Amino acid sequence: MNTMTILIADDDPVIRKLFEKRLEKEGYNVTVAADGTEAAGLLDTMPFDVVITDLVMPGEIGGIELLNIAKEKNIEIEVIVITAHSSVDTAVDAMKKGAVDYLEKPVNFDELFLRLEKISEVKALMKSAGDLREAMDVTESSAAQTIQDLEIINSHLLMQLEKLEEILSNSHQDEYSRIEQALQFLESR
Amino acid sequence: MLKISTEEIKLITKYIYEISGIHLDESKKYLLETRLNALAEEQGCFSYQDFCKKAKADATKVIERKIVDAISTNETLFFRDTGPFELLRHKIFPELIDARSSKSPHLKTSLKVWSAASSTGQELYSVAIVLQELLGDLSKYTIKLSGTDISDAAVAQASSGKYNKFEIERGLARDKLTKYFTMNGQTWKVNDQLRSMVNFRKLNLMLPFTGLGKFDIVLCRNVAIYFTLEDRKKLFNKIADVLEPDGYLIIGSTESLTGICPRFIPKRHLRSIFYQLQ
Repeated sequence: MNTMTILIADDDPVIRKLFEKRLEKEGYNVTVAADGTEAAGLLDTMPFDVVITDLVMPGEIGGIELLNIAKEKNIEIEVIVITAHSSVDTAVDAMKKGAVDYLEKPVNFDELFLRLEKISEVKALMKSAGDLREAMDVTESSAAQTIQDLEIINSHLLMQLEKLEEILSNSHQDEYSRIEQALQFLESR
Repeated sequence: MLKISTEEIKLITKYIYEISGIHLDESKKYLLETRLNALAEEQGCFSYQDFCKKAKADATKVIERKIVDAISTNETLFFRDTGPFELLRHKIFPELIDARSSKSPHLKTSLKVWSAASSTGQELYSVAIVLQELLGDLSKYTIKLSGTDISDAAVAQASSGKYNKFEIERGLARDKLTKYFTMNGQTWKVNDQLRSMVNFRKLNLMLPFTGLGKFDIVLCRNVAIYFTLEDRKKLFNKIADVLEPDGYLIIGSTESLTGICPRFIPKRHLRSIFYQLQ
């Protein structure tokens, strides 16, 4: 079972430390960022499976902007937004924009772990489906080449048979000439 | 999970053949169980025999339509198997446009494409994208891209132009995605310009092709594989009837028309095959 890589963006250092400790203890690979800009930069340096971001952060890049940036870089990244109780509307808005989930502060880690497990399961299924498709594509591709070759050869042979039939049933010529012509035709292929 | 018996398989597959032409047999037991289980239970049936009876007795044909929807759902992606799209982009469309525009240089060049068994629409939208990228300014052309399918649900989704991220992510490069689709949460919707090039409706390929007109290009990929040999012969002969004399037919990359329709000649271009009338 592959461990997921998680990026945490939160301007509160205590929260960052807490997330880092709890998630690493649970077995995830965690990277933290102090704001949206740092997080966006990190998204460029390595692949992440999940981004957990505070909705409200100082600087140009807030939670929603980070969500958009993450999705832009990799459509498969799952983003969980953390919101204060009063900002649930913004969180729902974030989900409309592609966030997979939202959690209210203070974060219940049991809940978070359950959500992450679900995300992990789905990713595993997707990978499995992807692998199957890949295998199918390879088989199909190889079969396609063979079938296409045969199709062309068949068509060609059919045309030659028709031509041969035409030659042999040509009533304007005697049988000997027809056979001669037919043999010539066969020799020329 | 309702189990299906050998007798019930015979019953159900005969019924499915009657309503759709799709040919299934005992080897498709797994498919039948997984696809129809939910539907049978939803209808409150305790056996597939009951289910079949109930479907036949339903004058509104609602259950029949749902069965068709369930059985005919197939794997389809945007630009599935790049071959045909390369073929369209580099050989067929250029050739066709040349031929059509030189025949009547003062009129708008007309292009009519039919995706028989268009399923949830990805194939036809992919064709639309190829055309858009190739031609740029479409005002000099009259483009009609038609998609038909036996499944109402598939036609409905194709018409809506909406896809979830699983349906969209494979086959569509990021740049094409953002150029032709708009995201709304977890759903992507085809933009109006692309949407206006296509139309979808229901059609059972076993029945006469009334009101379709003639086409320059017909795509009939990976659907004939579900029909009997006799039905395939009928199908491709009907398709030959609605194809322009210099039109093109593209079938699935692992399909063959040998012994099925001698009216078509296979031709090769790079790694792909297409067919034209003799």
